[in-house]
Amino acid sequence: MITTYLFYFLSFLAIMFALMVVFSKNPVHSVLYLVLTFFTIAGHYVLLNAQFLAAVHIIVYAGAIMVLFLFVIMLLNLNKETEPHKSVWLKASAAVASGLLLVVLVGSLKSAETIVATNAFDPNIGLIENLGKVLFSEFLLPFEVSSVLLLVAMVGAVMLGKRSIK
Amino acid sequence: MKALVLLSSLGLISLLAEIFSFKKLLYPFVLIGLVATFIFNLTDWNTNITYFKMMHYDNYAVAFTSVILVIAFLWFLMSESYFKEETSLTDHFALILFALAGTVIMVSYTNMTMLFLGIEILSISMYILAGSKKDDLGSNEAAFKYLIMGAFATGFLLFGITLIYGSTGSFDLTEISNFVTSHQGTVPSIFYAGVLLMLIGLSFKVSAAPFHFWAPDVYQGAPTVITAFMATIVKTAAFAAFLRLFSTSFASVNDTWVNIVWVMAALTLLVGNITAVMQTSTKRMLAYSSVAHAGYMLLALLAGNSYSSSAILFYTTAYSIGSIATFCILNIITNAKGNDTVDSFNGLGKSNPFLAFVMTVALLSLAGIPPTAGFFAKYYIFTAAFQSGFTGLVLIAIVASLVGVYYYFRIIIAMYFKESTDETITVKINHKILLITVAIAIIALGLFPDFIIRLL
Repeated sequence: MITTYLFYFLSFLAIMFALMVVFSKNPVHSVLYLVLTFFTIAGHYVLLNAQFLAAVHIIVYAGAIMVLFLFVIMLLNLNKETEPHKSVWLKASAAVASGLLLVVLVGSLKSAETIVATNAFDPNIGLIENLGKVLFSEFLLPFEVSSVLLLVAMVGAVMLGKRSIK
Repeated sequence: MKALVLLSSLGLISLLAEIFSFKKLLYPFVLIGLVATFIFNLTDWNTNITYFKMMHYDNYAVAFTSVILVIAFLWFLMSESYFKEETSLTDHFALILFALAGTVIMVSYTNMTMLFLGIEILSISMYILAGSKKDDLGSNEAAFKYLIMGAFATGFLLFGITLIYGSTGSFDLTEISNFVTSHQGTVPSIFYAGVLLMLIGLSFKVSAAPFHFWAPDVYQGAPTVITAFMATIVKTAAFAAFLRLFSTSFASVNDTWVNIVWVMAALTLLVGNITAVMQTSTKRMLAYSSVAHAGYMLLALLAGNSYSSSAILFYTTAYSIGSIATFCILNIITNAKGNDTVDSFNGLGKSNPFLAFVMTVALLSLAGIPPTAGFFAKYYIFTAAFQSGFTGLVLIAIVASLVGVYYYFRIIIAMYFKESTDETITVKINHKILLITVAIAIIALGLFPDFIIRLL
């Protein structure tokens, strides 16, 4: 019972903070609200028994990436004047398109109660031990291939950051 | 799998070239490596090995990998000067080779996690390479636009995968299709939402309308050789991945997506071809024409019958070799004359008959005029769509390709019927080899299309 209340409370907070990210005028405030959104999402992970994921989420997203974001925004010194003005038509069409997407998603989620979990519930499923076992057995190939992905990103960052020698 | 391992190792070796200073030898080494990969890849023919339940190396995968490797080889012949100019040469080699490794995953995956990783490896390399002309504003814009839009599309793709996992409990393509067939009528509706979201994500990657808005800007801003890579190899891999997913997992729920893809194909054909007519820059025109060609390939995807995979294989081959030649010549012309308007092709028939001839063959192939490869490519696509009863769409496609003939012929007319006092442009030996090979291949495939069409 308590988890149900917690779920609704966290969901309310998550949606509220997400809206604040969009509506706050100051970009620094936006980033700070985003950090709070990430914390509430991490709370959801804990409710779903994914403790490791929750910890990683807080460390990586709320910690590392958001701090980087803050630095970038402060370095860019974003002012209100530099923001290009969008036309009313553009705003209206964006609202209609995303509204339609919302309708589709809500419509499909409405009947989601009929889904029955195929696997039996395992309270230890989110522990790092189980995660490691799955990563190194069933998902070994994706795990190894993601090293190529990370290498690509690293090589690219170095290449773009390097000063070209004339 | 052999191709994946070999290409990733080649990428790593190119990175090491910086440290052990064999940079000058890297270019021939990579070319030899690609040939070796091609040969090793062919040994997988008819073996049907499944690796870790993640990659299934069937003939479909081997055929598409081979096509990609051939195009990559031609692409390397085209872009030798690109690798000479750059200071961070080894990084460029590594990124291209890793991107090729990504395409190998995309043509052979049987698991959605692999699909995602393949698409991301390819896309991230492309975001970076699009911005590789660091002091050029257009290149910066291209990289930035591609990154932002691409990340957004990946979000849709991932959300789709999540919803599908949530409803079926599996990432595996065959398990998903088994779930759908065994739960007829009780498949949760979030599954359908997932299918639609994945459709959006993949349509973005193949630049189908209305998700094509990034393509012209990115294609125009990126360095021409990278544009050629995006228009050929990326598109081939993306369509192979698209077809693999929709012909296995989602084939049984085609009521959900057939109408949407129908509208998308019609829109892509019309928007791509009609907007291409209005362009003055040849590079931008080729970008819109590449959007239009995605429309033809959507037809085969839509048909979803036994002809589809061979039709797409033939179409991507014909389209890619034609595009490589046009982009190569465009690059030569742009470097010599400083701009890429249609007028810069004036009088090429007199000053450079060789370039003009190959350009004509390639453009005729792209327009779909017999006896070039492009004609049979369109013919097989239309046959596949016709067999599944999409007559209306085939008619739209024929009208659209007539519009296509108009703008391809504008360049041919400029080359042969307009005067210019320009001097002869010297063509490098590797470009000559590439252009002769491509011209022969286009005509050979046009005369003997069975060679590829019988493969699958």
